[in-house]
Amino acid sequence: MSQLLAQSAAAAAAAVPPGAADAGMPAAEHPPPAPAAPALLELVNVWKRFGDAPRQMVAVTNVNLKIAPGEFVTLVGPSGCGKSTLFNMIAGLLAPDSDGSVLFGGAAQRDGQLLGKVSFMPQRDLLFPWRTVLDNAILALEVEGVPRRAARQRAEAMLPEFGLTGFGKHYPHQLSGGMRQRVALMRTFLFERDLLLLDEPFGALDALTRTRMQHWLLDLWTRHRRTVLFITHDIDEAIYLGDRVLVMTARPGTVKSEQRIDLPRPRDPAIVTAPEFVRIKRRLLDEIEEESRKSFLQEESRA
Amino acid sequence: MSRLMPATPVARALLRSPLFAALALALAWELAVRGLAISPRYLPALSAVLRDAWSVWPQLFASFNRTLLETLLGFAAGAAFGCLAGITFSYARLMERAVFPLFVVSQTVPVVAFGALIVIWFGNSLLAKVVTAFFLTFFPVTVNTLHGLASCDPQRIALMRSFGARGPVMFFKLALPSALPQILVGLRLGIGLSLVGSIVGEWFGETLGLGVMLIEAMNSDQIVRIWVVIVACGLMGALLYSVLTLIERKIIWWRAES
Amino acid sequence: MKAARILPVAASLLVLVALWQGAIAVFGIPPFVLPSLGAILKHAASEAGPLSAALGATLLEASSGYLLGALCGLLLAMLMVLVRPLQRCLMPLCVAVNSVPIVAYAPLCLIWFGMGPASKIVLIALAVGFTILVNALHGLQLPEEAAINLMRSFGASSIGIMRRLRLPAAMPSVVSGLRVAVPRSMIVAIVGEMLGAYKGLGRVIYESTQQVNLLNVWAAVLFASLASMLLYGLLVWIDRKLVWWR
Repeated sequence: MSQLLAQSAAAAAAAVPPGAADAGMPAAEHPPPAPAAPALLELVNVWKRFGDAPRQMVAVTNVNLKIAPGEFVTLVGPSGCGKSTLFNMIAGLLAPDSDGSVLFGGAAQRDGQLLGKVSFMPQRDLLFPWRTVLDNAILALEVEGVPRRAARQRAEAMLPEFGLTGFGKHYPHQLSGGMRQRVALMRTFLFERDLLLLDEPFGALDALTRTRMQHWLLDLWTRHRRTVLFITHDIDEAIYLGDRVLVMTARPGTVKSEQRIDLPRPRDPAIVTAPEFVRIKRRLLDEIEEESRKSFLQEESRA
Repeated sequence: MSRLMPATPVARALLRSPLFAALALALAWELAVRGLAISPRYLPALSAVLRDAWSVWPQLFASFNRTLLETLLGFAAGAAFGCLAGITFSYARLMERAVFPLFVVSQTVPVVAFGALIVIWFGNSLLAKVVTAFFLTFFPVTVNTLHGLASCDPQRIALMRSFGARGPVMFFKLALPSALPQILVGLRLGIGLSLVGSIVGEWFGETLGLGVMLIEAMNSDQIVRIWVVIVACGLMGALLYSVLTLIERKIIWWRAES
Repeated sequence: MKAARILPVAASLLVLVALWQGAIAVFGIPPFVLPSLGAILKHAASEAGPLSAALGATLLEASSGYLLGALCGLLLAMLMVLVRPLQRCLMPLCVAVNSVPIVAYAPLCLIWFGMGPASKIVLIALAVGFTILVNALHGLQLPEEAAINLMRSFGASSIGIMRRLRLPAAMPSVVSGLRVAVPRSMIVAIVGEMLGAYKGLGRVIYESTQQVNLLNVWAAVLFASLASMLLYGLLVWIDRKLVWWR
């Protein structure tokens, strides 16, 4: 556990000039190279503009970030700040504008190259209603080319870990929201890629289920040692889960600040009331408050 | 409550079944004609219709089967062609823009007008009727296949792309299954029209078939016989629709959710 | 932009014309099997007078039947939704009547209503009516119970709910049915006329077939097809004008 902490601390230190996070300055412009393990994912000056002038909309502007292997990084921001656009670019579904680039494993990725390299879980579970739980879980594996029987065996073995024992042959419409989300997560984990992108996976769940799922996700992450980039609008969730929290501004979205979370792992759900936690939360709340207000005013002016 | 009256849920299920509805309808028919003394020129009693049907049973049975054969063959051809056309149009936009308008225009042409010509081209044969049925079937199947493929959830497409899925994989694993419900709507429209096509096709130079019996009955002013054919057509229509519904239920069981 | 849409169709039309004329030339097809496009157009032009008159008669029947059928279908659907027991009684009857292909009712209509336009109008009304009925029933019953309960909590009556919730929700389905019904009413008119009529394109086609004047059949079909397309275009235009704001 402490190894992981040290690793992510080193990466965090490398990515952000000291003092920048506290001062609320935008994340580093061209930070010094990391002395520790090379970043798994790096975004350099990533922009995304839609449409042409004069009605051009800038969704994402000048995003620079580095994710080290094994890290759990959470991303918070007001609605409409471009989080999902950013994710789509990391998953390879959208190409960043030509003035920036996305590097994966140190190599710059051309348009479409990222497809199939990252395990992406969008907000909706998007399970296929005509497939059983097991077949939904192996969907990505099938696309990869793994033969069905082998894939099914792998999924079958994972069912207990996801609390879905005995539900392998069920159909999505027979499951509760929480269970469907778990099937989607299982699909994401079965697709063995180093980087996992989770876009508000627990957003639609009730508070109790959500807490259980968060705890269980951390368990999973610890055991499987993947790298996770996690979007949420819930600050508690962001702090509880992450090694680092990135705060995004209102549109046009950029990384406003970065907060290292030094809380010890494994983290107990009760930690949300610990003074340490609350202190971090208060700091983040102020930043997010400001951005949320801007975003709200943007929406108002548009209406 | 249900334990006190065990028969009630069963009785209710029976009341709802289509069989009961058919029987009720038949009974209502018979009683209405008798009770309201409706002239047999307009609506003969069901008993009279059944009696007449029985009197020409061999011809009726053979005609029914012949028309059924034409309908099924025309439907199979039209459905296969329609699905392929729909799929082609869905993936080759240029083809859609070039050929689909021709499909639309083709449906403004009353195929019945060409009845005589079709006999000249294809002879007084099964093929001629199948062609007529095909002509009416392919269009609704094409339209609905196209529509079904077009309404594939874009978020699911993005998900598949993020797995690295392309062309054929995307089609067989996502596009086609998600389009099936709409395709079946098209098939349902198609089979009804296929029956129409067969009947109309039989008006020109055929000796066996429900359409033939219809024209003969009309020409000799036999109202009861006309009703016999109407009932026979209705039964065939009901049969075809229910088979299709059964197939639909087998293939798209997941509709229960969405 | 417009060119990009029209060019492919124009190209395939040209291909069709080329195939048609080419087949006649290459295989030496006699004109009674497949006349040349030029011959058809020339004949259509020379017979434009009588054909237009016939078209007029057919259009009259088609539009009357269309309007009658659409109105009855919609009203019946609304009635069935407002009065639940009525729906339960009538549905089996509707399903039974609808299982029979519309052409099977043509002889009956002719015998009951004679050879004049009335029989055709009734037949068309029946065909169109059922299409609209099915579509309207589907559309009127789309709103979920939650929305209906909300209206009730505002104190809306059944008729009020029909007016403000169900009818607007049903519009897309009904319009879709109305569009499909346009070419259908022309075709049913012609089918009916072919079986028995004094006037109309169907009558012309029947007579021409009897007289083996197949060129006239083609010309009549051309008129019918063009009229159908114009009517359909008209409906699409009306639809766009009325519903454009949605």
